[in-house]
Amino acid sequence: MLRPDINDLLSQTGPGTPMGDLFRRYWQPVLLAEELPSDDCPPVRVKILSERLIAFRDSDGRYGLMDEFCAHRGVSLWFARNEQGGLRCPYHGWKYDVTGQAIEVPSEPETSSFCANVKLKSYPIVKLGDLLFAYLGDPERQPPLPEWEPYTVPEGQAFTSKRLQECNWLQALEGGIDSSHVSFLHSGNLESDPLFKGAKGNQYNRGDLMPSFEVVDYEGGLLVAARRNAEQGHYYWRVTPWVLPNFTMVPPRGDHPVHGHFWVPIDDENCWAYSFDYHPTRQLTEQEVTAMRAGMGVHSENDDAYRPLANKDNDYLMDRDAQRRGVTYSGIKGIALQDSSLQESMGPVVDRTKERLVATDAGIIKARQKLRKAAMALQEGVEPVGNRAKDQRVRSVAIVLPADQSFVEGIGDAMIARPGVPQTTV
Amino acid sequence: MAERLSIPAGPSACAQAASSKEAAYRIDYTLAAARNTRVVALDDSAEQIVRDAAAQSWGQARFYTATDPGHELLSMEGQPVLLADELEDSNTVILVSVTGENAKAVTTIGATCKERGIMTAALVVTPEALTSAALFNLRSHARVLLLPADADDLVELLKATRA
Repeated sequence: MLRPDINDLLSQTGPGTPMGDLFRRYWQPVLLAEELPSDDCPPVRVKILSERLIAFRDSDGRYGLMDEFCAHRGVSLWFARNEQGGLRCPYHGWKYDVTGQAIEVPSEPETSSFCANVKLKSYPIVKLGDLLFAYLGDPERQPPLPEWEPYTVPEGQAFTSKRLQECNWLQALEGGIDSSHVSFLHSGNLESDPLFKGAKGNQYNRGDLMPSFEVVDYEGGLLVAARRNAEQGHYYWRVTPWVLPNFTMVPPRGDHPVHGHFWVPIDDENCWAYSFDYHPTRQLTEQEVTAMRAGMGVHSENDDAYRPLANKDNDYLMDRDAQRRGVTYSGIKGIALQDSSLQESMGPVVDRTKERLVATDAGIIKARQKLRKAAMALQEGVEPVGNRAKDQRVRSVAIVLPADQSFVEGIGDAMIARPGVPQTTV
Repeated sequence: MAERLSIPAGPSACAQAASSKEAAYRIDYTLAAARNTRVVALDDSAEQIVRDAAAQSWGQARFYTATDPGHELLSMEGQPVLLADELEDSNTVILVSVTGENAKAVTTIGATCKERGIMTAALVVTPEALTSAALFNLRSHARVLLLPADADDLVELLKATRA
């Protein structure tokens, strides 16, 4: 249960809100690189943290992210012509470069200084791997570029997709932290999905439906570990890192690629799930990428606007027969939609005064507490964690350990991303 | 059947039901405190954390210490009480440890909870102070372990679970 004022504090990320201020201390994914595929390609609308922006790639390959609306009459620059080093409003020809600086105002005399005084608000945007990250905060506080492992491995070792989720970001994030739902909601997928099946760890999952949990506070966020019985005198541990404010990683299975998510607020009632798969030491195979593009694993089949084909307008293609036969536990196909269908059903922003949490929700309880404390501390001038390289060089872990060994001790450096070193997995 | 449903035809049941407007029709009633929680301090330092939490207003939560040399269960007022009686109508027990002492109490309480199907959680405020054996003992008896827990995690957990 959460008080209404704390629920508002955690779920509202618009400009000037405490959680919005917190998010504005981090580089956040704003687009897939494929959305701006070439120089002078069409501009793309971006809405993030309740701000409407336009992104484009100019004639020299430079990326720009700025206020969506022309300074002159408020026309959306989605209609703009992307040409010769800038975005030109089609209404009266005002033109802007990637920094938002007006570089042509045709109605003004050539020698006028007017143009130099017109600048749209803009934000830095960079391409890392197959993602574009932006920083929307105070330039004086801009952190170093992110060093998440999926975006530092060689080309061909990572794949990212995005999907619209039509609810508040925190509902989606909490699903990423909550390991206890996997044994139920996703139980039909472990041995059918090509990106999961065949792992030895799956047997432990199936063999112990009542995992125990350890929630370990660490500097960048939390490690949420689910413990299941393995062979005599041993436990199977699945360790999920959450890094503030919105990054989660799923523990690996066998030699399958490792996956995870960024849960990025669009506004207070919608978010993007940026879902990645990567392998630290090898290229993704053609079969794996084909499966990811087909919506397997943590990905989904989407339309051109990245809205899942199974969505609330078609009842998520609910298949009661598959539900009855146990092919899928909820009747919804695919892990991503199994999660989002339920999280969206809570409503755009769930009323947490009505929930009834249990002790095994300790990871969610602790994450909310850390988010609230970080947001409030920032209001007092205390800079948050999670935006430093040491917080971001993190990995999820799956491991079997002797029963008398703590998992923190047992995993050692396995949760630290090291180039060329394989993931620790079962 | 599924294919026929895949054709969007105006607001579906899910689209309509998930709207803000429909959220307003959730039945509004007071949820009773479901957690009949017992909180036990396992050492002297933990006792202060538990006392601070006990000073707040709770539904059905009750608070104890098991820190005396005999590991007897005492109420916050210092009265000896019987573990079996106190767990009679409980469904959650939270153990709080700072120093990792008192493995015997953990074992006794943990075994009783297991026998009665009572959910157990443990908050370890300074895990570095615990020996591996102490941690192993706690792990064996706690379905959920928070470490290192902040002193206010206890209150947070109790509030979140409507204790």
